[in-house]
Amino acid sequence: MNLRNQIATLMRYELRDELRGGEVGFVVLPFGVVALLTIPMAIGIDTPLLQRIGPGIYWSIILLFGVLVTQRHSSLAPPATRDMLRLAGADPVARFAATTLATFLLLLAFEVGAGFATMALYDPALDSWWWLAALLPLTAAGLSMIGTIAGNIASGLEARTSLVPLIVVPIAVPLLLGAAQATEGLRVGAGILRWLLLLAIVDTVLAVAGVLTARSLEESAA
Amino acid sequence: MKARPLDIAAVGTLATAFVAGLVVPPDAVQGDLQRIMYVHVPSAWLAYLSFTVTLVASVAYLRWRSLRWDRIAGAAAEVGVVFTGLALATGMIWGKPVWGVWWTWDARLVLTAVMFFVYLGYLALRRSFDDPELRAHRSAVLGVVAVLQIPIVHFSVTWWRGLHQPPTVLRPDNPQIDAPLLFALLMSVAAFTVVFAALVKRRSEITAKEDEALRFQEAGATAGSDITAPTIGGGSS
Amino acid sequence: MTSPTVSLRSVAVRKPGSLILRSVDLDLAPGSATALFGANGSGKTTLLRVVATLLRPSSGSGVVLGADLGTAAVDGVRRRIGLVGHEPALYPNLTLGENLELAASIALGRPATAEAQDALQQVGLAGAADRRASRSSNGMRRRIEFARLLILAPDLLLLDEAHVGLDPEAWLLVGHLIEEVTGRGGSALIVAHEEERIRPLVDGAVTLGDGVITGHQE
Repeated sequence: MNLRNQIATLMRYELRDELRGGEVGFVVLPFGVVALLTIPMAIGIDTPLLQRIGPGIYWSIILLFGVLVTQRHSSLAPPATRDMLRLAGADPVARFAATTLATFLLLLAFEVGAGFATMALYDPALDSWWWLAALLPLTAAGLSMIGTIAGNIASGLEARTSLVPLIVVPIAVPLLLGAAQATEGLRVGAGILRWLLLLAIVDTVLAVAGVLTARSLEESAA
Repeated sequence: MKARPLDIAAVGTLATAFVAGLVVPPDAVQGDLQRIMYVHVPSAWLAYLSFTVTLVASVAYLRWRSLRWDRIAGAAAEVGVVFTGLALATGMIWGKPVWGVWWTWDARLVLTAVMFFVYLGYLALRRSFDDPELRAHRSAVLGVVAVLQIPIVHFSVTWWRGLHQPPTVLRPDNPQIDAPLLFALLMSVAAFTVVFAALVKRRSEITAKEDEALRFQEAGATAGSDITAPTIGGGSS
Repeated sequence: MTSPTVSLRSVAVRKPGSLILRSVDLDLAPGSATALFGANGSGKTTLLRVVATLLRPSSGSGVVLGADLGTAAVDGVRRRIGLVGHEPALYPNLTLGENLELAASIALGRPATAEAQDALQQVGLAGAADRRASRSSNGMRRRIEFARLLILAPDLLLLDEAHVGLDPEAWLLVGHLIEEVTGRGGSALIVAHEEERIRPLVDGAVTLGDGVITGHQE
């Protein structure tokens, strides 16, 4: 089976497993929305202030809760299943790509869902909304790749669920800055190309790193 | 514990730097406050140096698969996190009287803080493994991926701060640095570097001993040997 | 004389603080089925994972289906190895049928719906294909794994207590799988505790203890 078919097959089943389990849709997304709801409660109801900081809060939530999306149960097959796929001849690169793509789509859905919640709760005003069509996928791609790599690095560890966010979040700082500054640019009508470029560079570096380390990480499976 | 040339050199240069840092005249603008730079600057330098050592040792491990490299990577990160913390702390102590606040969101400060947390994540990962080989392999991959992100973090933070310059109470606008002060600064950088080398060496030796102890334990313990026949149920054969 | 399917020499596996395998020599002849006995925790599963190319030995050497362990050559032979471990290799939220299809289509390199349906029929699960793996009984999950092996047609069959808790019908399935593999000239290695039940299915047995093979029986 060529690489593309393997990726498509693995991704399809992984997504199906996730959608039936419903972890992202029924757990992570509501949790993220609750977080969006608590912040105005903590800092006070100042509508102009909330309008201004809404996008920044949104991206923080995406980064912090997006890590949970990347570590959903369906992204990490149990050891027996991993062995089975290895023996069946699934390419480690295909497995990395399939998990990343599935996570990417789920993160994108998470971003859209949390985005609507932010619009409702914070009422941010952007000059142009169209750029979000580039911004959301670029950010989701980077986060899904960091999450998948970190998940593989920490696979099999008991401390995995608390360890991965600590590994991911500092490394994902450029994604947060890129996305938040680009959105800020859209709000005040400034140029955002350099931030999109930054996101594209981060994504490219991560894609190369993910592909290069996929085999090596699988070899070290405990 | 036997003192060795590297340890002696570390103590010697550190003592010299300490004296130099105290006897040089106070800075024209900042006075004695400036002396904290003799700790801050070399600590910040070590933060970068240890990251580089971790990166190089991680790549070397992945290439040659020798645990020696993994121990160096881990030791450099451990020593590095201490000095990164020290750089942050001294930077904040210095910033309070100069800038009026503990934390200024200065680009370098933010970058150092991010590096600090990248280190913590890396070390937390290392602690989670029992198996030295597995620890070496997985943390080498993280070492490479994380350190490669540092330049990108650097640029993103610099661009970000480029937009809003932080307000400063007292901007140290003093590009001229006197020769004695420069000497003291260089001396302290040299001293810290030698201390770094000595600590990394010691630390990797300790890890080597720990791994060895694990091996020693193996000699007496084959799989299944800690499990014996139950003493109830009369099943002796 | 044909070369053995599996040949291990002085294989050792270390884990932190203990030596799981000290020095294992093992040969599996083509067309033979071998039982692997040993007390709890004696390293049977570890040995099976080494033979399955999933675990690299700490020292020693081995050849599996012509590929040297620890080299990239094992990538080429993994497809010919069928392993059923004691944990089921299934995605919990996929149905039994979907799990089988996923494994089969990865292994065959093309969509394998027809093969999956045939195999489900053969293992007697045609009626349970739409049941989620997480809601299936242990016996059903086992049968799905056997169905996978029917499709994969491996040259090296490795069963790690895969027969535990099976009903007599499923037990026949194990016998059938072993016969099929050995009939093709492949080999089977079966980890078991119940000597009496496994004996009729195998040609010989080895016993693992203290990290080495302590006994051979024909």
